[in-house]
Amino acid sequence: MNKAVSSFVPGVLATSTAATVSLAAPMGRLSLRARGDLSALDAALGMTLPTRIGQRNAGAICLGPDEWMLHADDIVPIVAACAAIYEGHPHSLTDVSGREITLLIEGPRAAELLTLGCARDIDSIPVGEGRRTVCDGATVILWRDAPDRFRMDVWHSFAPHLLHLFETGCRELAAEAA
Amino acid sequence: MTRVPGKGRVDLSQPVEFTFDGKTFRGGKGDTVASALLANGVHLMGRSFKYHRPRGPVAAGSEEPNALIGTRRGPGRYEPNTRATVQEIWQGLQTNSQNKYPSLKFDIGAVNDAAYMMFSAGFYYKTFMWPKNFWHKVYEPFIRAAAGLGVSPTEEDPDTYASRNLHCDVLIVGAGPAGIAAAKAAAGQRVVLVDENAEAGGTLLSEPQAVIDGVPAWDWLASELAALKAAGVKVMTRTTAIAYYHQNMVGLCERLTDHLPTLPADTPRERLWRVRAKQVILAQGALEKPLVFNGNDRPGVMLAGSAQTYLNRYGVLVGKMPVVVTSHDSAWYAAFDLQKAGAKVQAIVDLRGTVRDDLLAEAKLLGIPVKLSHTVTATSGRLRIRSVRVNPTSPGKVGARVEIACDALLMSGGWTPSLHLFSHTQGKLTWDAGRTTFLPAATPEDCVIVGASAGAWGIEAALRAGAAAFGGTAPTVEHDRTGSGVSQVELPTDLNAGRAKAFVDYQNDVTAKDLRLAVREGMSSIEHVKRYTTNGMATDQGKLSNINGLNIAADALNRRQPEVGLTTFRPPYTPTSFGAFAGYHRGTHFEVTRKTQIDSWAAENGAVFEPVGQWRRAWYFPKTGETMDAAVLRECRSVRAGVGIFDASTLGKIEVVGPDATEFMNRMYTNPWAGLKPGRCRYGLLLGEDGYIRDDGVIGRMSQDRFHVTTTTGGAARVLNMMEDYLQTEWPDLNVWLTSVTEQWSTIALNGPHAAKLLAPLVEGVDLTDEAFPHMSCVECTVAGMPARLFRVSFTGEIGFEVNVPAPMGRALWEVLWKAGQQYGITAYGTETMHVLRAEKGYIIVGQDTDGTVTPHDAGMSWAIGAKKPDFVGKRGMARPDLVAKGRKQLVGLLTEDRSRLEEGAQIVFDPDQPIPMKMVGHVTSSYLSDAVGQPIALALVEGGHDRMGQTVHIPMPDRTIAAKITGAVFVDPENARLKL
Repeated sequence: MNKAVSSFVPGVLATSTAATVSLAAPMGRLSLRARGDLSALDAALGMTLPTRIGQRNAGAICLGPDEWMLHADDIVPIVAACAAIYEGHPHSLTDVSGREITLLIEGPRAAELLTLGCARDIDSIPVGEGRRTVCDGATVILWRDAPDRFRMDVWHSFAPHLLHLFETGCRELAAEAA
Repeated sequence: MTRVPGKGRVDLSQPVEFTFDGKTFRGGKGDTVASALLANGVHLMGRSFKYHRPRGPVAAGSEEPNALIGTRRGPGRYEPNTRATVQEIWQGLQTNSQNKYPSLKFDIGAVNDAAYMMFSAGFYYKTFMWPKNFWHKVYEPFIRAAAGLGVSPTEEDPDTYASRNLHCDVLIVGAGPAGIAAAKAAAGQRVVLVDENAEAGGTLLSEPQAVIDGVPAWDWLASELAALKAAGVKVMTRTTAIAYYHQNMVGLCERLTDHLPTLPADTPRERLWRVRAKQVILAQGALEKPLVFNGNDRPGVMLAGSAQTYLNRYGVLVGKMPVVVTSHDSAWYAAFDLQKAGAKVQAIVDLRGTVRDDLLAEAKLLGIPVKLSHTVTATSGRLRIRSVRVNPTSPGKVGARVEIACDALLMSGGWTPSLHLFSHTQGKLTWDAGRTTFLPAATPEDCVIVGASAGAWGIEAALRAGAAAFGGTAPTVEHDRTGSGVSQVELPTDLNAGRAKAFVDYQNDVTAKDLRLAVREGMSSIEHVKRYTTNGMATDQGKLSNINGLNIAADALNRRQPEVGLTTFRPPYTPTSFGAFAGYHRGTHFEVTRKTQIDSWAAENGAVFEPVGQWRRAWYFPKTGETMDAAVLRECRSVRAGVGIFDASTLGKIEVVGPDATEFMNRMYTNPWAGLKPGRCRYGLLLGEDGYIRDDGVIGRMSQDRFHVTTTTGGAARVLNMMEDYLQTEWPDLNVWLTSVTEQWSTIALNGPHAAKLLAPLVEGVDLTDEAFPHMSCVECTVAGMPARLFRVSFTGEIGFEVNVPAPMGRALWEVLWKAGQQYGITAYGTETMHVLRAEKGYIIVGQDTDGTVTPHDAGMSWAIGAKKPDFVGKRGMARPDLVAKGRKQLVGLLTEDRSRLEEGAQIVFDPDQPIPMKMVGHVTSSYLSDAVGQPIALALVEGGHDRMGQTVHIPMPDRTIAAKITGAVFVDPENARLKL
C-alpha cells in the first residue's frame, strides 16, 4: 500500500558525522481507537495493548487514552481479526498506511538534532517508548529505539519541510563538533 | 596609545586591525571596538539622536547608550546600531560612526543642539499640531527622515540563523561570581550557565585584585570554569538571555560568528535558544548610575566602574588626567586603580560630606586631591572633555567654582540592580528608601535572584548568595571592595538649571529639565512622563536612565518613588536581530509548503501554482504562450465538451467510525444522515453555533458505521478540531471516533461527458451505469489494479467521479488515467477552472462566497437543512432574530450589462446617483469569464437579493460605474441533465 513517496526514495536522505536521517521501508499502519475493556481487542491483535500514553509493545504505541498506532508488515489479518469482533466490541480501525512515512534518525547527536524542531524534552523519552509531539510545526510520532536512534512518523506533505530542517541540522551539528 | 603594559586580558601579541570611519586602528585579541578605539585615544564614536551632540562610550557593556556604530563584513553583512562596547574586533572588521553629516567631527545636524530650547519635552506634540493636514505630508516624513539611529540595511542578509530547544534543571543567567557559585552548588543537576559577554566572569574580570580562597581572582575563575565544564555544566558565552516568558521559558540569543575573522562553513550567525528550565537563577549584577549634571554627555565623561573595566579587563587607560565625581564609594576604587596604573587623577569630587576613613587614607597615600561636599556644574571641550567646573556645596548653597583641567571625567551615582528579566516574570519589586533603589521581592516563577541584582554588594556577598541558592558554601574573599553611597537627583548648581544640558537618557537625548517640564505640564505617573519625554524608550530600554528619571520625577512631584511608579521592562533585554527570531524560517523554509503526490506531474507539465492554506495547488496549465484567461477558458471548454482531470487530493478527509457515527453526523451537520444508505453520498453543510456556514463537503457512507467525510482544503484541520471538541466535551457518550485521512488518499477527479467511458474499463467491482452506480454513489473497488474508494460526485455540473487511492499510488493512477484519456482528449485542469465550473453551477466556495456571516438561507441552501432533526450545531443560532430578519445579504448571480468582468470584492449600490458616501448593499464574491454562459458571470451577496431577481444594481469603480442584473446563482444546466450518463 505504501510505495515510495514520489519525492523521496527509501535510504539515506541526509547525513553527517553528527547524525543520519534515512527513509524507512514502507509498512502497514493502522490507527486504532477503542475504549473500555480491551481484552477482546488484545485477543484479536494477539498482543496486550499498552495503556500508558507513550508506552509501546512490539507493534503498537499508545497515543491517547483511547488511541493507538499499530505498525505491521501485513495489516490484512489484523483488519480481518478486528472486524470479526466489531459487533461485540465496537472500535475504529482505520488504515493510514498511505498517510505517512517514517524517518530513521540516528547518530551520536541524533537527540540534539531533534531539538531543532521539537520543543519537548527529548531526554525525558525513555528508550523503548515514544511520544506524539510537534516538530517544526508538523505533528509527528517520535519513537525512541536507543539513546541515539529514533524513528519519526510524519505525514507525507510535511516530510520535505522536516527533511530540509534535518539536512541543515546535520551540517550545523557536524560543523559545531569540528 | 593609552594601553597599560601588564594590565588587562587583551592579547596584544595577537594584533587585530580594523577600520573606523575608514581609518585603520590596531587592537589585540579580546578587544571590543570601544576598548580598542579608547586604547588609540579615540573617545568620540558617534552623534546623538536628537541634538547630534558628539558622544563617546559612557559604559563598557551591553548597557551602552552612546557608542552605537555600523559594522560591515563585505556585501550584505551590514548591521547598524551595534554597541561598540559589545562588538569584538577581528582582522578586517569595518565599522562606521552614525548620525553624522558630512563627518563625525563636523556635523550639520548639530544645529539642533544650538536650538535645543526648541526641542523640549512634548516638542512634537506642540509644534506640529497645526495645520492639521501638514502632519502626514510634511511634519511626519521630515521627522522620520531626521530622527532615528543608523541606517537600515538594504541588502538581503546572506547569513543563516538557527534555533534550538533546551531543557534543563537549572538555568543561571549571568556568569559572574554569584552565577558561578550557584552553578557549582547546583552541580549534579542539568545546569546551564549563560553570559552575554565574550568570556565568563562578570565583575571578576574587572576586579583582579580580589583573592578568593587564597587564589588570585583570575586564577580562581579559570579553575572554577574548568571544574564546572568538567562537571557537565553547559557554559555558554556571547549568549544573552533576552526574555523570560511564562513557566520558566527563557529565550537566549547566542552570537556565534560576529567575533570571527572568517566565517566557518555551516555555522549560523546567531542561534535562538528556547530554554525550559525547572529553576532559573538570575545573577545579572547591577548597572552603574550616571550622575545628572550640565555637560554630562561630553566624550570622555564615563561611568567610573566602566573606566575600571577598561583598565583592568582591557588594559586601557581612558584618561591620563581624569577627574572622578561620585556619591558612591565604588568610584574611589576606580580612582585608585587608574592612579596606580599611571594616571594622574586630578581630583576625587564627592557630593557627600563624609566618606569612609580608609578611602580618604588611601587617596592621601596615592596623592589624589579630594574635594568632599563638592559638585560638578559644567564641563568644557568640543569633541572631548577639556575641563570640569567644580563648586563647593553647603546646605542650600553652591559656592564659587574652580575649573579643573582633565581628559576624562569618571562618574558614579551608585548602582542599580539589574531587574529586567525579573520584571519579565511579573515579579514584584519593593522600594528600598535607604539605598534609593528597587529590589526584587516575589515572583510567580520558580526563580531565585541572587547577587548584586538582588542588592548584595561585593564579591564575597555575591558568591555567598549564589551558593546559598542550592545550599552551598562560599569561599572567603580578600581585597573585596564593598561600599555604599547616597543617591542624587540633578547635582546642585549655581548656574541656571533651566539651561542645563544635563542628560538623563543619553540615547533619546532626554534631559532633566525635560522631565521636570513634563511634571509641570501635568504628567504625574512615570508611565506618562516616560511617554511624554521618551525617557527610557530607546533601544537600551533605560538601563541607565530609568532610575534617574524616576528620582527626578519623584522629586518634582514631591512624592516617594514607589508612588510615581517604575516603568515595565519588556523583552528583549538587548536589541536582537530579526534573523535570530526567524531562525530557520526564511526562504524556502519560511513555512511548510505541502505538496500532493501529483504535484510533481503538474510541475513537469507546466502548471502555474497557487497557495491554498499550507498547500500549493496547480492553478492552471498554460500551453506555451497562453495567457491565464485563455488557458482557463480552454480547460473549462475541454471539461464541458470532453473530459478533464483534476488533483483534488488536498480536500480534507475525515473517517468517522463507530456505532454512533450516524448520530454524530446528525448532530454536526445540518443535513439528515439516518436515511442515507451505505454506498451513497450526500452534500454536507457544517455551521458554527452562531448559525453561520463554516465548511462543506461531500460525505460518503462507506458502510453502516463508517463515513468518509470530505472538507474544504483550508478547513480540514479546523473541522477535525471542531468535531473533536464537541465529541470530547459535549458528547463523550457517543461511541464514535475520528481519524484524519486527508493524506491517506490521493484524490483524482474526472469530469466531463467522457468521464465514465474513460474510467469504466479500469474499474473492477462496479459497473459505471446510472442504475448500478448513480450520481452521489460511493464504493470500495479496484481502479487500475489499485485499491480505491470511488465516488460519483460532481463539482462541475458534468458527469464526475472522484477516485481515491492510497496516497503514494496517486501519481501512478494519474498517469494511467492520463494515458487512457488521450483518446478522449483529456485535459488537466487547475483550481481556477474548478472555480469557474462550480460558479457556473452556483456551487459556493466556503470562505469566498461566505465570510463567516452567511447562513444557509442567505446562501440559498435551505434545502440542505434537515428540518425534522431535533438539533444540530447551529440550529438554534439560525433562529436568532437578526438571522431570520428581512434584508439580509443573500447570494445571487450577477450579469453585467456591458458584459465586462467584475472585480471580486467590489462593492455594490442600488442607486449610483446618490451622494458619496454611498450606501453599500453588498459585494461581489466570485467573478469569472464564462465560456459556457457566453459572458462573464459573478456571484454576489446583495441585501435582500433573493427578492430582487431581474433588478439592476451598480458597481462603482474608480473609472466608471458598472450596471449588472441580479440573476439566480445557477448559470448552467439548472435541471442537472448533464449529470446523467
